[in-house]
Parts: sequence; structure tokens; C-alpha cells
Amino acid sequence: MSFIADKQTLEDMNMLGKYNHHSIFNLFNKVKTTGGEKLLQQMFQTPLTDAELINKRSRTFAYFQSTQITFPCSNEQFGAMENYLSGSIGKFFPGVIIYHASKKLQAAVLRDEEYPKLQNGLQQTIAVLRQCKAFISQFEEKARQKHPFYDELQMVKTILSDPKLEWLNKAQSGQSSLLNTARYDYLLRHTMQQALQTVMDTFYMLDVYLAVANLAREKQWNFATALPNGTNLFTATELRHPNINKAVANPVSFNSDSNLIFLTGANMAGKSTFMKAFGINVYLAHMGFPVAANNMEFSVKQGIYTSINVPDNLDMGLSHFYAEVLRVKKVAEEVSSGKNLVIIFDELFKGTNVKDAYDATLAVTAAFSEYRNCLFIISTHIIEAGEVLKHQSNIQSLYLPTIMNGSVPTYTYQLETGISADRHGMMIIENEGILELLEAQIN
Amino acid sequence: MLFTTDKQTQDDLNIYGKQGTDSIFSLFNRTSTVNGSKLLEELFRHPLSEAETINARSEKISYLKTVKAVFPFGAELFDQAEQYMANTDERTKLTAEKPSFEKMLTALVASNADYKQIVSGIGALIEIVQLLNSYLNDVLLLAGSPFKKDEEIADIHKLLYTEPVNLLLKENAKSKLPHEKLVAYDLTLRFRHRDTVQQILRCIYRLDVYITVAKVAAERNYVFPKAVPKNYHLVKIDAFYHPQLKNAVANSIHITADSNVIFLTGANMAGKSTFMKSFGIAMYLAHMGFPVAATAMEFSVLDGIYTTINLPDNLGIGASHFYAEVLRIKKIAKELSAGHNIFVIFDELFRGTNVKDAYEATIAITTAFAKKRGSKFVISTHIIEAGDVLKQHSNISFKYLPTKMDGTTPIYTYTLQSGITDDRHGMIIINNEGILDMLKKGKGGDNK
Repeated sequence: MSFIADKQTLEDMNMLGKYNHHSIFNLFNKVKTTGGEKLLQQMFQTPLTDAELINKRSRTFAYFQSTQITFPCSNEQFGAMENYLSGSIGKFFPGVIIYHASKKLQAAVLRDEEYPKLQNGLQQTIAVLRQCKAFISQFEEKARQKHPFYDELQMVKTILSDPKLEWLNKAQSGQSSLLNTARYDYLLRHTMQQALQTVMDTFYMLDVYLAVANLAREKQWNFATALPNGTNLFTATELRHPNINKAVANPVSFNSDSNLIFLTGANMAGKSTFMKAFGINVYLAHMGFPVAANNMEFSVKQGIYTSINVPDNLDMGLSHFYAEVLRVKKVAEEVSSGKNLVIIFDELFKGTNVKDAYDATLAVTAAFSEYRNCLFIISTHIIEAGEVLKHQSNIQSLYLPTIMNGSVPTYTYQLETGISADRHGMMIIENEGILELLEAQIN
Repeated sequence: MLFTTDKQTQDDLNIYGKQGTDSIFSLFNRTSTVNGSKLLEELFRHPLSEAETINARSEKISYLKTVKAVFPFGAELFDQAEQYMANTDERTKLTAEKPSFEKMLTALVASNADYKQIVSGIGALIEIVQLLNSYLNDVLLLAGSPFKKDEEIADIHKLLYTEPVNLLLKENAKSKLPHEKLVAYDLTLRFRHRDTVQQILRCIYRLDVYITVAKVAAERNYVFPKAVPKNYHLVKIDAFYHPQLKNAVANSIHITADSNVIFLTGANMAGKSTFMKSFGIAMYLAHMGFPVAATAMEFSVLDGIYTTINLPDNLGIGASHFYAEVLRIKKIAKELSAGHNIFVIFDELFRGTNVKDAYEATIAITTAFAKKRGSKFVISTHIIEAGDVLKQHSNISFKYLPTKMDGTTPIYTYTLQSGITDDRHGMIIINNEGILDMLKKGKGGDNK
């Protein structure tokens, strides 16, 4: 079963989107080949739900992070090869020879471009295959012991060592005879087509592994350890937002006896950013990708739901409050069906009056927190609700403080235990000089 | 001085709407000509800020509504005329010399598109001018018509009886013009008196807009607001409603300098936003001299309109919702302190902050706004406690939209009442959705 993350959640965390410059996908999209990019996209769309698979993938990343390897080919070369291999050719060798002869004739007489193109594709493919072969033998020299990518590379090696491809080493670059060209073409595009596709796929994967591993090294990210489903643990030190420079790091820990964080803090103190950082790292961890956190360990979950920027749908006649209620209902359905989930609610019930918001926050938070198999972070402005909830032992009350420097609020972005009563709304209004502006005219 | 408004306001009121969706503009955008539609958009972009010009425009549209005016021109005439006028290439000018035998032969084999365009363009202009002339005489310049006072119409009328336009009136639109005449008209219309022709076309596009608006007003039974001078400080609308809603409930409102702030409360979904939008739309259209969805309206002209209904928080640049609101208020405060009298709508003031801050800020800002007697404010909030403090200001009027409970189902009347409501049905909505039950049941199942 695949990991659940709906559209709202992915948008809240800004995970996907190649054309969205600030998306997490774009942060990771440092691959060299188009095939690698497709594979990366696929990984982003389908995080894993099996601890073993997650750990296997992250071990592979970690291995490449520790080596100094660069990807052997350029995207142009790979593109040319893919383009060449995707063209089909006849099943019978004599037919192929006739085809080649006629194309060559056309090229000579009519300046038809197909034959030169075909030759070029063939040459590029030969060059790539040689580079791959050289890369593998270099790699083997470096890495003597068995490594996580061993099996895949062995498979490619076996394919490339096929006696049918022995000519690869000999074939001189430049022009070769008509008969030779036809023979190589027939071999690559007919006899060995499937095998070569495997070679390419393996190298696309290698591209992704190397790109992500290099990024992890550069950004000093680490790998999380997935724990089998069943426990409900989460620990990390120095968890931070991967897409913010100099992001402030915070420790986070959950277990089934402490499965809900009740988060308070003034406006702009960084509540949303913290919640997004947590959600993004959980998501990345389930992909087996490096996370912007240290010593992260987590029990594998079945999905994540966030509610950070719920849009009101006034066209449909839904008020902001009702949009929130429907979102909470959707999450309640998922949670009560017994799934193990990570849930993030930012500013729960901000679209209603104080008393309702208080009652609703209290009731909903208390009801959710009974699901000890799930993890929750709930933030609110209704700090009064926290006073009641803090008596529940499985709720951690945390806040993001504001420190006043004269009349200018400064933010540490560092989590502290307790409930914040910081409120600097009036201060901000005063700093903007709004009331003076309004008074000025009257005097 | 210009009437000021901004994109946030236009988005809130759905003036232009998103591409392809219904908007206030699209409600009226049924002109016969393409350029009429462009002009209409222009009018929406620039509402007026003087009572005289507003009334002058609304009187004209109102007159067209009374006489049940119909746009007298076929729309295709303007396509032909505009295409013709758009060709300013001197080389295409018709020449007087007889076409050579060779040219005639070519024309027989491959018809000359340029030539055809010129002929049909001149024909269209002749027909347009003649139709305009009879329309002026038969409808616009009858006794009692407000168009008699209109300078632009007077100019056009004069033009029709002077060279060279008067020549067109004498032509028979049905018959084919001889070549020499075509040459002469081509030179005058397209080059020498180009400005005159364009002035006439512009005038017709304006008529197109006015006639269309009059038609919409008649179909939808809209009323024309009466603008009164600025110093009257008055807004009085009877039975106004949201023009885009079916079966919309109508409300009336009466604002003077002694009641220039409306403090609006009501439960979720009771219709606060809709009420404010309808009010905003009526004010916006009124300042354009357009008809509004109401039974009567009188208003003193204001300098601008600013609404804050769906304020997006700009989290991309790190501004919280609260800060976005603060900046918006600052913008409005600047307008007010510059001495402008404006119309301000604020939905759910300070919803993005904690209760105590929201309470204090709502009181402080509302009190400061209330002192600007020349401006009008509608402020809605969930912080009903702020209302109790604000009661000491006599010029704040308190209105609410009620919720009636039918068992556990809330019913909304959408009819404005005086006072402050403490209706709160948020928990009932949550219970109706069965969220807490669902969570309890799920837990119970687990234990078993």
C-alpha cells in the first residue's frame, strides 16, 4: 500500500512541482539525465511504507554519500542513446541490411539525413556503453567490499560483458563499413534491446542516487532510520526546514505515551515553519531520502495529513470555518479507520468566534489524542485551551517564544516547554504607526 | 480627483473575476460591439468621483431604459469599418487612374482582397453614419432627453451636417458607388478626416455600452442611484441584494455622518461576507453611474473604496495573516489621513491573531476609524466582546445577521437586525458533521 498524502497536504508542505521554484522537489532535482528526473519524480509521488525498503534505499544513499563518485555521462549522450534505442528495427537481419543500404543510398543521392542520424546515434550509444563499462570497472576497483548497489551493477556488468558485445572494445570510432554498421545496429536495437534498457534504467537510478547523495553531503543532511510499523516512535535532534538557509534546528520526540504536541506562540514566531519542517522531514524520511535533521528515527506511518493553508471556498458558499470543519472531518475519518498517520493542524478553527474555537479546539484535540498510534502537532491562538489540555499526560505543550527588544519583537525560533502568552499584536500595530496616522488628521 | 480602489477590492467584490468565471463585469458585458466591451471594461476600471458626472451618466442610461432603446446598428458593420480604418498603409490608397487591362484581368482571376475591404469599409461607414443620424433624430435628441445636454452628442450632431460627413448622408447605401467617388471617400475617410471618423465610432461604442447597461437594468429590474454632493455624508439603500445570487435576500441600510460605522456580528455562515459584498458592489456600481440591485439608492459621493474580505496571507514572503491585515489597515489609514473620504469594508478583522490581541486591536482601530465621520465603514468580527466597549460611541451602529435553531439544524434568515449577536453554532456544526462521534467510535472499535 502506498503512503497517503493528499493534494492539500502536498501543497501545504510545497513538496512537488517541477515548475515551482521553491518546491522540495526542485531542491532535490539536481539529476543530470531526463530519465533520472522522471525517476526522482516517481519517488516523490510514491513514498514507501515498508521499513526494510526505506532503510535499504537510505543505506544506498548513505553509501554514495561516503564515496566520491561522479556520474560518467552527460544528459545529451544519454538522450541520444535513448532516442536511438527507442527506434525499432526489423526482425530479420537481411531486411536490416537492405534497409541500411537503401538509407545510405538515399543519403548519398538525395542528401537524406536519416542515415547520418542513425550513424550518429549508434556512435553515441557505443560511446556511452564504453563509458559505462569503464565506470563499472573503476567503481569495482574503488569499492572492494560488497556495497548496497552491488547487485544492480553486477547485472549491468554481466550484460555489458556479453560476448556478443565484445566488438564494443574493438570497434574503432568514426565510419565503419555498411555491413558492420548494420550488424551493430541489429544487435543493439533488436537482439539486446531489452538488456540495454536495463542498463539505462540502472544508470538513471545511479544518477538519482549520486545527485541526492551529493546534495546531502553539501547540505549536511543525514539519513533517518525507519523502525517497523507497530511501535509509535519518533525522535530527531536538530530538525529544521530543508529549504530555508540557516534554519533554526529543534529537537522533536514522540512516542505512544506522548503523541501530541500542542504548539503556541505569537504571530510570526515560526509556528507554521516548524510544522512544515516536521512534515517535510517525515515525508522525505518515508522516501528513504536524506532529512534535514540529526539522529532521526521513526516508526513507519501509513500517511500524513496537514491543514496549514486551508482555502475558504466562498464560491461554493463555504465559510472558512466550515472548510476547516470539513478538513477535520476528513482527517477524523482516516484516523478512526485505524490508520497510523501523522497529523498537522495549524491554527485550528481560526475562522470562528472565541468561545466556539475554544470548545472545538478542546474537544477535537482531546478526541484525537486518544489515537496513540498516530502523531499530532496542533497549533492554536486559543491559548486558554492549552491550560486545560496540559493535564493530559500524552500532550506535550511547546511554544515558540518572542523576545522584546525595546518595542521590536525578535524571534528565537527555538522550541520551549510550556504555553506562550506572548502577544505582540498591538505592538506590531503601534510599530506601524497606524493609530498615529489616524489621529494626525484630527488634530 | 480620481476615485481610488485597488486590486484587492476588485477581487473581493468579484468585479472582473477569474478568467471564464461569472463576475460583475460579465453581468453587464453583453455589448454588441467588441470595442463597446473594451470601453465597458474601461468604465469599470475608473469609477467616478463627482456627483454631477455620475448623475449625468446615470440619467442617460436611465433614459435609454425608459425608451427601451435597442442598438440600431448591426455589429458586422463595425468589423468592416474597423478593419478598413486599421489599414493606414498609404500604398493601399485607391488611385483615380483607370485600372489597366492587365489589372482588371488579374482581378477577374484572383480577387483583390484589399480592394474588397476598402469598398465594404466605405459602404459600412456610410450605413453607420446614416443610421446614427436617424437614431439621433428619432431617439436621442427628442424633447426631454438628457442627451440634449451631452456635449459629445452635440459635437457629433454638428459633424453630421458639415463636410465631409454630410456627403455620406446623401449617398444611397444600397447602390454601388462609382469608382471616382470611392477614391474620394477613401482619401477623406481613411486619411484626411481620420480623426472625425474615429470620433464618431467612439461615440457609437459609448452608446452601445449605455444601451446594453440599460437593457440589463430593465431585465433585472435594477434601480439608478442618485448621487448627492460629498458634504451630505449619506448612504441610503433600500432592499439591496447580491446581484450574482439567485433568491438573494434583500436588506436596507441608512448611513449618515452620525452613524458612519457599522459593526457587524453573526455566526459562521449567517451571511456576513455576502452582505458586505453586496453593499460593496452596490457602492462600486453607484460610483460608475450604473444601476444597482436595489429598489432605491441615494449616496453622497466618496473618494474611494477599499475592502478586505479574502485577504491572502503572503507566507511566501514570511508575512503572517495578521501582519498582512496590519499592512492593509496601514494602507487604509494613509488614505484616511490624507483627508480622503472613503468606503471601507473589513471582514473578520484580526482573525489571524490571539483573542486578547484581536480584542484590543479591534477596539483601538474601530474607535480610530469612527472619528473619520466623512468616511463610511463596515467592520465584521467574531470578537463580540469588543462590541460592548464600542457601544459608548454613538456613531457606531450595531447590526447582526441572526441564526435560528431548528432542533440541531441552524437556519439563517440573512435579514439584518439591530444589535450584537452572541449566536455561536460552531460546536453544533462540528457535532452535525459527526466528527467527535466518529473519533469515539473508532476508539471503541479498537478496544474491542
